[in-house]
Amino acid sequence: MRVAKGAQIAAGTALLALGVAACGGGGSGSGGSGSDGGTNPRAADGTVYIRGCEPQTGFVPGNINETCGGTINQFVYDQLIKYNTDTAAPELSQAESIESPDNKVWTIKLKPGLKWSDGTPVTAKNYVDAWNYTAYTPNAQNGGWWFGSVEGYGDVATEDPDGADGPKEAPKPAKETMSGLEVIDDLTFKVTLQAPEAVFRTKLGYTTFSPLPDAFFKDPKAFAANPVTNGPFKFVKWDHNSQIVVEAVADYPGAEKPKVKKIVYKMYKDDDAAYADLVSNNLDFTELVPPSALAGDKWKSDLGDRAIEGQQGVIQTMTFPLYDKEFGGNADFRKALSLAIDRKTITDKIFNKGRVPIDGWISPLVEGYKTPGACGEFCTFDPAKAKEYLAKAKAAGYTPPKEYPIWYNGDSAHKEWVDATANSINQALGADAGFTVVGKATPTFAEFRDLITNRKMKGAFRTGWQMDYPSIENFLNPLYKTGAGSNDGEFSDKELDAKLKEADTSTDPAQSILHYQEAEAMLVKEMNAIPLWSYGLQAGTSKWVTGVKVTPFGVLDPLSIAIKEA
Amino acid sequence: MGRYAIRRLLQLIPVLLGTTFLINYMVWQLPGDPFAARCGQRACPDSYISAMRAQFGLDQPMLVQYWHFLKNLLSGDLGVNFNQVSVASQLADAWPITIRLGLMAVAIEAIIGIAAGVLSGLKRGGFIDNVITISTLFMLSLPIFVTGFILQWLLGVQLQWINPTVSDAATVGELLIPAFVLASLNLAFTARLTRTSIVENRRSDYVRTAISKGMTNRRVVGVHLLRNSLIPALTFLGTEIGSLMSGAIVTEGIFNIHGIGGLLFTAINNHDFTIVVPVASLLVLVYLLANLLVDLLYGVLDPRIRYE
Repeated sequence: MRVAKGAQIAAGTALLALGVAACGGGGSGSGGSGSDGGTNPRAADGTVYIRGCEPQTGFVPGNINETCGGTINQFVYDQLIKYNTDTAAPELSQAESIESPDNKVWTIKLKPGLKWSDGTPVTAKNYVDAWNYTAYTPNAQNGGWWFGSVEGYGDVATEDPDGADGPKEAPKPAKETMSGLEVIDDLTFKVTLQAPEAVFRTKLGYTTFSPLPDAFFKDPKAFAANPVTNGPFKFVKWDHNSQIVVEAVADYPGAEKPKVKKIVYKMYKDDDAAYADLVSNNLDFTELVPPSALAGDKWKSDLGDRAIEGQQGVIQTMTFPLYDKEFGGNADFRKALSLAIDRKTITDKIFNKGRVPIDGWISPLVEGYKTPGACGEFCTFDPAKAKEYLAKAKAAGYTPPKEYPIWYNGDSAHKEWVDATANSINQALGADAGFTVVGKATPTFAEFRDLITNRKMKGAFRTGWQMDYPSIENFLNPLYKTGAGSNDGEFSDKELDAKLKEADTSTDPAQSILHYQEAEAMLVKEMNAIPLWSYGLQAGTSKWVTGVKVTPFGVLDPLSIAIKEA
Repeated sequence: MGRYAIRRLLQLIPVLLGTTFLINYMVWQLPGDPFAARCGQRACPDSYISAMRAQFGLDQPMLVQYWHFLKNLLSGDLGVNFNQVSVASQLADAWPITIRLGLMAVAIEAIIGIAAGVLSGLKRGGFIDNVITISTLFMLSLPIFVTGFILQWLLGVQLQWINPTVSDAATVGELLIPAFVLASLNLAFTARLTRTSIVENRRSDYVRTAISKGMTNRRVVGVHLLRNSLIPALTFLGTEIGSLMSGAIVTEGIFNIHGIGGLLFTAINNHDFTIVVPVASLLVLVYLLANLLVDLLYGVLDPRIRYE
């Protein structure tokens, strides 16, 4: 009877597991209440664990343009400027002074005594070399175009005559260095721009403007996997797809010192898994609370005072393909759609107030934001007026196709709000609108981007914009200037271009912002992109850490996190 | 049997060639530029795209690419993925974990499933039979992610008996619950298959003969009945090894296990064929070998089956 006995136990175990599982499905209790022994396990080795993901590129700041790599690179590299975590204001970091009489020629002085993690001093040459390397086309760095406004950029960067798809290759640039960069002495360098640019100083805090040590140029490939850095933390190891470990620099010269000894950037494939670890105090920080926990504000009851709420500089918009006659529509049609979107209800119901409706094209976080926004009445839900504008659009000769799609990528959580937006429009415009709006998904983000860059979008499409640096300029120039890199709808307005240029070249910052605001106000005329809402921030910490702050970019401020004293 | 095994092994070669070609072809046919999504909301610089295309040979015709792939595969060089990280080292990190998880799941399926099946088959119509039938029905109706989330929430978050996620070391102890979750669905299948088979065979001639020869009940069940009744369950378990390894994506995601499933999932999303093709090829190999193993085991279990 041995078999039978074993089977009994086994079957019993299975049943027990099932029974327990069935009970577990019900009520929700107080999470993370266990093991209140008083001792803090983090205190022993000073290590904290934060949610991470696998960077697409190695530790070369000029080649990074995605969040996974961007976050961890901000921990290990310092730039000339850093953005205040609370106010987003640019403050001097590695620079002692950044001066310009005319916003065209900039003299940058470094603080003395700054060091790389290998002990060599940080010099002006490190900055100039790094920027030249990034801008030089044959190096194929993602961030090269950031230096487009520096004098001599045209000598180091060449265009592929027939694009990446064509058989021709980009010609070899005439020079390897930009004439606008000039080393004055060990700690001073001069940057000459092609034209005055008021926002240049603010830009300098972006990752691409990091310096690179001499060690990089000896072997860029090896460096990317094992970098020498100048930030508050230094690289220890990288276990691919699993974790990156960084260690506090003992004699970090910055005003604020690291408060933990080590940060482990622990990679998760699933936000729910990270959240489960956070609730049970195995993970110390995540900035991505999954939708399942946001629903009904469950995360707030799960986390209590460990929940962090805030704003981040990301806005969601809906852009129209102006290059397509059928789906581009006319200004009145686009206004009608905007008027028919009930932003408040959608942000309340779908996002649980985790996003805030906006009535302008810039984030509430940056200087120059104003209420009411530039879009004003056209971004306020008003079905009657929406119908009126639809009638105007039709009178002007535009007949929308029977089915008008709003495109999104199906591999992340966009379906709910796109469908809700489509419903809102359909209901507001009524059954006699002559067309219905539907949400349509591409399977992946890659296909989505492909349709956009090849200008093959048949319908409106979602566009999100995460600011690179906290400035009103960053929400206008890259998106709406004729031919700009992220002007995905091929919008073009000469008047707007002129106004933006005027704002770019103003020497007085207040005047410059005023011009940008005027430029933003012009967008309402064509309504080529519909502002929807601004992203809130939902983050959480474990009970072991304290003082945690989140930057306006929605990531952890590595200097703020500290281990709670037992 | 030796010759049969060799013939089957030789058959693997054309099958592998065919499948790797198909996989390569399909990845190549996927819509969307693999590098288009690598720069967020911005279009990638042309110089970057050109450099990447040149590095990964995407500017060459499909057949040339396949030839390069085969050449590199045979020389054991899998190259780097789009993130410029060695593919071989990533596979070497992920495979042992997935194999451990897969084997543990199969073991749980085999032990609990077969035992429950035998028990309920022998006591057909009894209380235990009914309990097992109902509980397997319950398990069959629960999708894996439901079982996974509930067990993680209950044992990991509420009771704190286990960590909600598995550490990088992925020890056997840590993998126990994930393996159970992974096994839960097939466990029920195995139990039911075994039960049916036992019930059928109990009425067969050779069992009656064995009993009338005066054999002990233990010997009849243990040697005669069990050996013959295991064939369907074994076939099922064998074919499941492959799908357990590739199908662990959900379980690996829930418990954050850094195995093959997650690697494959991310790679497919990023169109990163440098990972997709070798992983898929290896999975094909696992399927084929598991099937061969099952076929050979038939001969061991049932003397009537002979391979020439």
